[in-house]
Amino acid sequence: MTGAAVHVAELEKVFDVPEREGGLRAAAKGLVRRRTREVRAVDGVSFGIEPGEIVGFLGPNGAGKTTTLKMLSGLLYPTGGEARVLGHVPSKREKAFLRRITLVMGNRNQLQWDLPALDSFELNRAIYRIPREAFVPTRDELIELLEVGDLVRKPVRQLSLGERMKVEIVGSLLHQPQVLFLDEPTIGLDVTMQKRIRSFVAEYNRRHGATVLLTSHYMADVQALCKRVIVIHHGSILFDGPLAGLADQFAAWKTIGVALENGQIDLGRYGEVLHRDGDWVTLRVPKAETSLVAARLLAEQSVLDLTIEEPPIEDVIELVFAQERAP
Amino acid sequence: MSTLGTTLRSELVGAGGVVERNYYLTKRYIWWDLAWFIWTVANTLTIVFIAKGIEAQGGTLDVNRVATSLLIGAVVWAYLGVLFEFLMETVAWERWEGTIEYTFMAPLSRSMHLAGMGVFSVLYGLLRAIFLFTVCIWFFDLSVPDAQFMAALVVLAIASISFLGIGMMTSVLPLISPEKGTQLGWIAQGTLLVVSGVYYPVDVLPTWMQWLAKISPATYALEAARAAILDGQGLSTMWDEIWPLLIIGVVSIPLGLWIFARGERYAKKHGKLKRSG
Repeated sequence: MTGAAVHVAELEKVFDVPEREGGLRAAAKGLVRRRTREVRAVDGVSFGIEPGEIVGFLGPNGAGKTTTLKMLSGLLYPTGGEARVLGHVPSKREKAFLRRITLVMGNRNQLQWDLPALDSFELNRAIYRIPREAFVPTRDELIELLEVGDLVRKPVRQLSLGERMKVEIVGSLLHQPQVLFLDEPTIGLDVTMQKRIRSFVAEYNRRHGATVLLTSHYMADVQALCKRVIVIHHGSILFDGPLAGLADQFAAWKTIGVALENGQIDLGRYGEVLHRDGDWVTLRVPKAETSLVAARLLAEQSVLDLTIEEPPIEDVIELVFAQERAP
Repeated sequence: MSTLGTTLRSELVGAGGVVERNYYLTKRYIWWDLAWFIWTVANTLTIVFIAKGIEAQGGTLDVNRVATSLLIGAVVWAYLGVLFEFLMETVAWERWEGTIEYTFMAPLSRSMHLAGMGVFSVLYGLLRAIFLFTVCIWFFDLSVPDAQFMAALVVLAIASISFLGIGMMTSVLPLISPEKGTQLGWIAQGTLLVVSGVYYPVDVLPTWMQWLAKISPATYALEAARAAILDGQGLSTMWDEIWPLLIIGVVSIPLGLWIFARGERYAKKHGKLKRSG
């Protein structure tokens, strides 16, 4: 794993979280004796990411995704285990490391709200020591790619969420980082804006060979960008492999969509009817029986059209978490 | 040597970036700054009026001298307030803006980051102090014929090194306590106000407080500023005030950086580098 852009081995982060019951008595008691609970936010996580790879980092809220990204960015010290990014230990905060990474958090901002983004870009130029002859073309290229030419002169607080996110991304990439940690970069954005940012990330990866670790609750982001996904829940990794393999491993069924001449026919004997829309019926069938059921449908019914699909990725992810919760 | 020079230059460029950003932000809110300046003027006038009030109540005093002495105290105090506020905001304001994680992830050494904040606060504070002093002198028509203004400014600049060191120590408080750290930072400022003879000679303090006055850089800064403005003393006669300021400065800056580094380590260990919590 020495050539990996990101190398994580048995990484752990434990927080002591204060807690108490509600009410005056408990509050008074808490003054004398503070009760804390140990929360294992990240619990022995291991993975590696090759240079140029785009990996989806999936999990429900509180799964440990952001904590992991913060440890990889040097913003949090791990409690145990090892993390290396481009050969550097993030917590050491070496400048050669910090100049080669970026962290974009959809619900945070690095640009000053009261200033036009262009002023904050200047600060980044100074801090990241970007020579002006490199800074200007990079800035202009990013502005052009994300179509924010008329936005970067306005104070950031006057921008909409989507506009702000785009200029945040420009600010994060001015130093042309080799590793991008993207934490929900499309959160709260409309579909068009999400698509724009997805295609931009793909383009940046193609042009610069950058390594990307992406967290997102929007499966469209993951499907569009990531061949590989890592699923984390309660601080532990549940799955690490190809996106397609997720359905293979966790979903024991496929869906068959079938358009019939007479859509009112009961298809219950072929599989579980998930959905009926006019003459179009969606069936859930065991994966091993898919081809057999399809053949039977074609032979026994007047079929106008038929599709076989993997289950929607959202359903698979839900299934992964449900299986993890099961005793 | 050239590598050292390049590194130093590179670091200074980063600190310069922080100064530049603060300039942009101050410019953005210049009218609010003006409003705040008017409040400071009103506050200072109130303090200087005390001298007039004592005279009006039958007290015998050199009103011009006492009023100028109070004015110097109020101006130095206001200057100190600016320095502390900027350094406290290094963390508190970034947290409020939601930029704190990015700032602490940037490839800028903490010393240069704090130096950038400090240099801007000194420049801004000095400019403000000059305006404040000028407005109040004009308002009360105070006479300072022998004043050595340049000497007073130089002493204030030397004292700023110590003030920045103490400011760095207190700026760590919002880092380790997002909820109450800023308010706790005022403790240092308040303590300096009590023991440093801002509005009265330190001789009137209890003995144990006079010991605290000896380690407060504000004590020496005020004594020297009053000597320069009221008595027309030059720098050559102020060595007794300058050397303690230099010593406190030499100690407080590295100590401030060390304490800040410890605070940053604590914050990264306990997950305090975020907007809330």
